[in-house]
This record gives sequence, structure tokens and C-alpha cells, in this order.
Amino acid sequence: MPQVSNSLRDRAHRYFDSLLRRVQPGPDGVARVGARQIYIVPTRAGFMYGAVLLVMLLGSLNYQNNLGLLLTFFLTSVGLVAMHHAWFNLLGLAVQARGGSPVFAGERARFEVAVRAEGGRPRHDIRLRKQDETPAPVHVDTGDQTLVALAVPTEQRGWHRLTDVMVETRHPMGLFRAWTYVATEAKTLVFPTPAPQAPEPGHDAGDSARPHRTRYEGAEDYLGSRGYRPGDSIRHIDWKAYARERGLVVKQYGGEQGQEVWIDWARLNAPDPEIRLGLLTRQVLDVSASPTRFGLRLPGAVEGLSQGTSHTERCLTRLALFGHAQD
Amino acid sequence: MHKTDSIPMAERPERTQILWTTLLVAAACAPFVRYLDGQVTAFLALILAIRLLALRWPAALPNRWIRALLAFAGLGNCLAAYHTVSGQDGGSALLATMLVLKLLELDTKRDLRLVLILLGFLSVVQFLFDESFQLTFYLGLIALGLVTLLTELNGGLGAAGLRPALRVSARLALQAIPLTLVLFVLFPRLTAPLWSLGFDSSKGLTGMSDSMEPGNISELVVNGELAFRVRFAGQRPNSNQLYWRGPVLWTMNGRRWTPGAPPSGWQEPARLIESSEPIEYEIVMEPTKQRWLFALDMPISEPEGAAISPDYQLLSNQPVTALKRYTARSVLSYRTAEPDARVRALALELPDNVTPRMRALVEDWRTQVTDGRSDRADDWTLVQRALAHFNRENFYYTLLPPKLGANPADEFLFETRSGFCEHYASSFALLMRIAGIPSRIVLGYLGGETNAFGGYTIVRQSDAHAWVEVLIEGRGWVRVDPTAAVDPSRIDNRAATELLGAGASVRFDLGEAAALARWMRDLRLLGDTLEANWQNWVLDFSAQDQRRLMDRLGLGAWQEYGLAVLMVLAVSLTLGGILLVLMRERTERDPLEQLYARLCQRLGRVGLPRLPHEGPDDYGQRVAAARPDLASEVGGFLALYVPARYGERLTPETLQRLSDLLRGFTPRTQSVQSAFRGKVTASNGG
Repeated sequence: MPQVSNSLRDRAHRYFDSLLRRVQPGPDGVARVGARQIYIVPTRAGFMYGAVLLVMLLGSLNYQNNLGLLLTFFLTSVGLVAMHHAWFNLLGLAVQARGGSPVFAGERARFEVAVRAEGGRPRHDIRLRKQDETPAPVHVDTGDQTLVALAVPTEQRGWHRLTDVMVETRHPMGLFRAWTYVATEAKTLVFPTPAPQAPEPGHDAGDSARPHRTRYEGAEDYLGSRGYRPGDSIRHIDWKAYARERGLVVKQYGGEQGQEVWIDWARLNAPDPEIRLGLLTRQVLDVSASPTRFGLRLPGAVEGLSQGTSHTERCLTRLALFGHAQD
Repeated sequence: MHKTDSIPMAERPERTQILWTTLLVAAACAPFVRYLDGQVTAFLALILAIRLLALRWPAALPNRWIRALLAFAGLGNCLAAYHTVSGQDGGSALLATMLVLKLLELDTKRDLRLVLILLGFLSVVQFLFDESFQLTFYLGLIALGLVTLLTELNGGLGAAGLRPALRVSARLALQAIPLTLVLFVLFPRLTAPLWSLGFDSSKGLTGMSDSMEPGNISELVVNGELAFRVRFAGQRPNSNQLYWRGPVLWTMNGRRWTPGAPPSGWQEPARLIESSEPIEYEIVMEPTKQRWLFALDMPISEPEGAAISPDYQLLSNQPVTALKRYTARSVLSYRTAEPDARVRALALELPDNVTPRMRALVEDWRTQVTDGRSDRADDWTLVQRALAHFNRENFYYTLLPPKLGANPADEFLFETRSGFCEHYASSFALLMRIAGIPSRIVLGYLGGETNAFGGYTIVRQSDAHAWVEVLIEGRGWVRVDPTAAVDPSRIDNRAATELLGAGASVRFDLGEAAALARWMRDLRLLGDTLEANWQNWVLDFSAQDQRRLMDRLGLGAWQEYGLAVLMVLAVSLTLGGILLVLMRERTERDPLEQLYARLCQRLGRVGLPRLPHEGPDDYGQRVAAARPDLASEVGGFLALYVPARYGERLTPETLQRLSDLLRGFTPRTQSVQSAFRGKVTASNGG
């Protein structure tokens, strides 16, 4: 029974969701808020303001007090104009969201939302909102841009899509809340949550017998050079080669040759694939902390033997997107 | 304490916000203090002092229990001062008390908002007590202040302090003004109140009363307050013809004149047998709480909601409790119909305290007038004789007459011989009755000050006057003003000038030397003009004016509905106008940006639009690469534009040169031929 009502609620939610007018990003990836995409309702203070004005109106009408009416109408007009200002504060606002660096599931995925004041006027009191995340209101000067960080809670591995952000304002008097939903393509990669601990990954034949200690002796042996890849440690860059204008080259060091580990899906026997992925993640993290070359074998995918931050990241990405469509 | 800890930081008001709100509340209460009981004022001051102290030393802030106690104390204080909190005075005192008490409980921004919003209500209440232009202006500033503080409280303005909030609220206020005016003019008014909370009758009004005894009018005469303003449709008659007719008094009890009971069944309509050309005028009268409306002697047509009584009083159906505007018509010379015997008898009734020397005086006159012939020869000659008596004998006109005892008429006629119009009118009417000529007293105003600035006449309480009407056979009721008979050389107006200062009416000529006083009078007249317009256009704007407006627009038949429709339309149009203003502002970019936008637009037309992420340098390079023929022109423009945009200060000359460059720049789509030639050169090079 709760299952049914849940799915009903989901469907209702999806239906109303589809009715929402979202601001779609333009070809340049920037969403510009249009006139018909802005929602506006009075806040609690706005309702209070209206109620007090109504009392003032009735009193002044009854006492036939024109000055009372004049003041009432002035405050009413200010309220009406303020409503238009709230709407206008969002109109034409340029919003662009960008995903941040990958996180592990359970951590907060980071997004960076750029809010730009186009159209020759400053924007006041711009608030972003995504689920429970409500960063402090920002002010954007004319033609300027302000970055707002959003940290959204994650539960599942894979791409975490922001899909939309609520952009809200209560400018100028806090009587009206104008908001709009900005659709965005921004996504952040979420790695599987690493298991608290994992069995030692399997070594290649002949290696497993050797005691661990000895593997690290002479770990700084020079292996050779290769081109720089993002994520490589600065300490390993061959600066002399760079000075000779050969570009960025990284020196590769390693333990004794042949110290290689395969992290293998098939070696684990946890029934649930997600638990297995968690274990594999733990293994990747553990092994990458040591100067060991390692590879990753997954059903239908293999990441060859290598090492370094970028290799680790590639492996984690494979784990994050395992079974998902790659995009 | 734990309550404040649970409030999120963003909802906690800052100290300066509390300070500004407190100061604004104090400022809004300040003009109100004039109408509040002393002990209520003291309580307000006490709470405000605690609030300000607590800003410096937070420990001084009362806790919840003490706050509850203070709230009860405030309520008790209002009850003690007014005995009720439901009336206008008590209710508004309670409102002010509670608003100020709320200042002790400003834990969240919501509390601050509540206080600021209620401040509007407190302002409106004050207009029940004072409707002056100054207070309106002051409370307008308070309203602007509350809008500013609400804006500041909402935040997100980029900079701290009141200045950015003030800029925003000033814009809001300016744009709200046209809308305010539309609403004010078109919002349908009530013609009668929905409910009556009862105007407090304790508020004393100065003005004419419906009886006369010595001292009554001289009290009024030192009062410079406004009675009414008159605007004549045509030429203004001379001041000495401006007898503004008010209550008519028939009965004298020896000391005091009262209207008296009219003879039962006296319903003969007031009618004039002969009259001159009528004069039309409009009067805006201050509230008197009485039914009579003042009209020029004699009124011939009554305004709506009023009637002319048999003794030619213009009487409103309802007491005048608010500003009253009416149009009336009068004739300056007339002959009234003669009343029947019962009315004659009423106008001949004498009090008990008629002394023998009064009778002797009248007897003496009659023998002089009749010259030994018939005893009732000519009443009118007798009236002339009586007036001559006041002129020839040593009668003085003064505002500060000596005190009179139990028989004022006798004492005035034979002993003190100095007095004011009430003394003259009273004794004259009495003497006429002794002589057998029916007489009655008319109270009203005489003259009025012309305001050349406003084109109207001001009649003040100091113009109050009393005169006599006598019934002469063949002529009807005839006006006689015994005060005017006093020899001008015996008019003591020094007292008047001293008492009234610059506020003296034209009746007391200030003399040529008093240039400063005349200058002051001009200033006062100008101020009165402003006040009259304020009254006419703002305070007195009513459903009637709205109907007139609708008539003029040709929508009279639609009545209230038409007004409502018109209001909705006008409000929508005004809001649309405001939006247009906002939109226009948006397109007003700086001239440099506009020039650059035009360049981009022209290049866009030949298939080279600027990409959104592209800066001017990148764009220029891309254009140069795609269209080498345009490179020099675009490059020349950008070489000027980039430093002007990002570096050095922009000069008008740079703008001019950029604009010149742009004028000659009309790129065309590359023709097939030139594109082909481009290819050939490329292959040659390879």
C-alpha cells in the first residue's frame, strides 16, 4: 500500500513538475530568465502588509478621512510597484551552472552557479535554492557576475545532475517572493561510497608470496618519461626537459618492476553489485596510496596497469559509471 | 534566552536595524504626543528609553515576564487615562502603547517587519486628530522611512548602511506617486459611514453659539480661527454689505437672548416680496456641530440637504460635523412679507427687568419724533432717533468692556456706555420692543478679508457680529446695525490690535505705518490660500466630486460602477506605464556599449556574429581571419574601443571618433567572385 501511494505521489509530482515553466539555457549554455517564467506570491510579511492596509482603508473610508486614504493608497502603490520590482529584478537575469570536482556518494556534490547582471542594471538580493541548500543572498553589480557555490547532497554513484535551480528574490521590501526555475545541464560525477574496508586485491602470480615490506624498498627507481597528464604530481615534472623546451614531461618512478596489482570484480563475491563496487572503490583508494601499478577489471571493461592520480580517477570513474550509459 | 539561540543568523536583526526602527517609531509618535494624555506619553517615553538603553547594555532588556507585566501596565495606563480603549482617543493611545512595547521584543527580523508595517496604521490614526498639510508631509516622510527600513531589512543591496536602501525606496516612492493619485481620485468613496465609532464630543469647537449674552461675541472676536471661506461667482459686494446671516434670536430673559420657541403652527414659508438681482457664491465652512449654514443676508435658494426657515435661517438637515461645502444665492436688497399677529407678539415680549429709565428714554424719543402729533406716527423715524442716540451720546466701541451686573442692558445704556456689538444689538432690540416695534437679534459675521492670491474671501471667528431686525409696517423686517452708528472716532481698536496682533481682521485698520504687520498679513493670506486649496482638493474631495468628474467625462450614467471600472483601467495603465519606464531604463546602456553592440550587429549581418563568450580581442581576431578585407576597419575600431572600455578614462572625443568609424562601416556579404579569388591566391601560395 505505501508502495502504491508513493508511486502515485511520484507520478503527481512528475506531472506538476512538467507543468513548471523552466528557463532553458540558450545555445551558449546561459539561461536568461524570461517574463513568463517568473512566479510571484506575497510573503508572510506581504500578507501582513496587505491586511494592515485593508484595515487602514476601511477605517479611512468609514471616517471619510481623505488623508488617511491618501497614506493608505501611497503604501498600497508602493507595495504594487515593489511587486513589479521583484519581478523585474529576476527578468533577464543570466544564470549558468557548472559542475564541480567528483565526490563520493554521501558527500555533497559541488556546483558553481554564475549569476550575471545583464541589461544594464544591478540585481539585488538574488537567492539560489536547491533542496535544503540555501546559500546567502548575493548582490550583482551592473554587468558583473557573482559565483554562488551550491553543495547538494548525493546518494547514488554516477552523474549527479543539478537539473534545475530555484532562483529567488524578495527585493525590494520583502513583501513578495519572486522565483523561477532555471534548467541546467550541469553535472558532477559521484564515485561509489568506498566500503569501510576491503580484502587485499589479488597480485599477479608469483608476487603474492613476497612480503609487503620489501616491495617498497628502492621505490624511487627511475622508470622512464612520458608526456604530462592532468593530475600528475608537480614533483615528478622533468623541469630540465621543460627548460629545454621539450614541453611538460613527467618522470616515472616505481617500485621494483613487476609489482602490479589487478583489482578484479570477479575476485569479490559480494552478492549486491553496489556493495561490490564499494569494495572495489576501497581497493582502488588503498592501492593508489601505495606506489604500485594497478589495473581494474570490470565485466565488460578493463583499465590497464598504470599509476598516478589521473589513473586512479579513471578507475574511479569506471566504477562510478559501471552499468550506466557513458555520457 | 534559549529562544534567541534557536533563531538562524540570517533572521536575527542587526543592532543598527533595531536602532533605526526605534528612532522611526519615536519620530512617528512625536506629533501624536499633542493629543495623548500626559501619562500615556510618559509611558511611551519610558519604554523607548529602556529600548535605547538595552541597545547599549543588552542586559537591560526586560525578560518575558517583565514584558508581560509592562504590557498590562500599558493597558492599565490607557484605561486610567481614558476610562475606555474603544473610543478614538483611548484606542489610538493603546495602539501607540502596544507598538512601542513591541520594540522590547525584536528577536527576529519578522518582529521588525511587523513593527514597521503597523507604523503605517499609527500614521493613519493620527489623521483623525490633525489634517494639516504639515502633518501630512511629515507622515509621508515617516512612510518613506518605513519603506526604506523594510528594504534595508530585506538586504541583498550590495553595500551596508541606509544609503542604498534609501535609493531603492526613493525610486519606489517616486513611481508610486502617480498610482497614488489615480487611486485617490478614482477610488469610490462612501457617502455615509459604515459604522459609527462616535466622534469624541469632548473636543471643543470654537464658534458661534445659539444664544447671546454680554461677553459671548467679544470672546469670539479675539479668536483668529477660520469660520468659512467664500468664493463669489460674480463681483464681490462691498464689505459693509456682507452680513453673513446665522441664528436668529427671539427671546430675552433679562440677560440672555435665545432662539425661543417659535409659535406653534408657524410654518409660513419665508418669502420675499421684492428683491434685487441674486448673487451666487460657494462657501466652504468649518465644522460647527450646529445645523445652521451661514448665508448672505437674505438667502433665496437653499443648497441640497438644507432648508430656509421662516426667519430666513439657512438650516442644514444634519449638524455640520465635517467640512461643509455648499452653494447658495442671496439678494442684497429685499422686502420681506409681514408675519401674522402671533409672530409680532413674540417679537414684542419683554423681560422683567426693564427699568423705568429705559421706558423714560423711549418715551422721550417718541415725543421728540411725533412732535406732539399722533402717538404711533412713524416707527422708522423712531428707529432713526434711537440710532442717533448711540451716535451722539458718549458711546464707545471697545473689545474690553467693563463687567456688567444683573441688568446688563440698563447698565450699558446709562452707566458704562462702552461695549461691543452684542451690547449695542441687545439694548437696541430691547428699546425697540419697549417702543412697541417688533424686533429680533441676528447673529452672524460681518465682512471678511479678501484673499487676492486665492480669489476668495476669508471669514474668521473674529468677524463675528450681532445686529437687529425690526418689523416696519409696509417694509417687513428691516436690518438695523446699531454698532455701525457709533461715531468712528470713539472706536477703540487699540485693544483689538493688541489682542489679535497680526491676526486682526480688516475691520481693525492697522494703519499705514505697520508695514511689517501688513507684510505678515500678506504672508498669512498666502498661507491661507495654500490651506484653502489643500482643503478644497484634498480634505474635502468627496463622492460628489467624483460624480462631477464622471459627468464631465460623459460617464455619469455609469455611477459607482463606472468609477470602479475607470479606476481599474487607470491603475492598470499607470502600472503599465511604470513597467515601461523600468524597461526603458533597461535598454539605456552606456554609449560605448551601444557603439560596440552596433558593430557586432553589423558583423552579425554578414555571417560573423559575436559569440557570447567572446571578448572583443578574440572576436576581432576571428573576424580578421575570416574576412581579411574587414580587418583594418574592425581593428581600427577595436584599437580605440578596448582601451576605452577596459582602461583609460572615456572621453567624448573617443566616442565621437568611434561613432565616425562606425558610420563608414557597412560590410557586405562576401561575393562568390571574391571568395573564389581568395581560393586561387591560397592555391598559388601552396
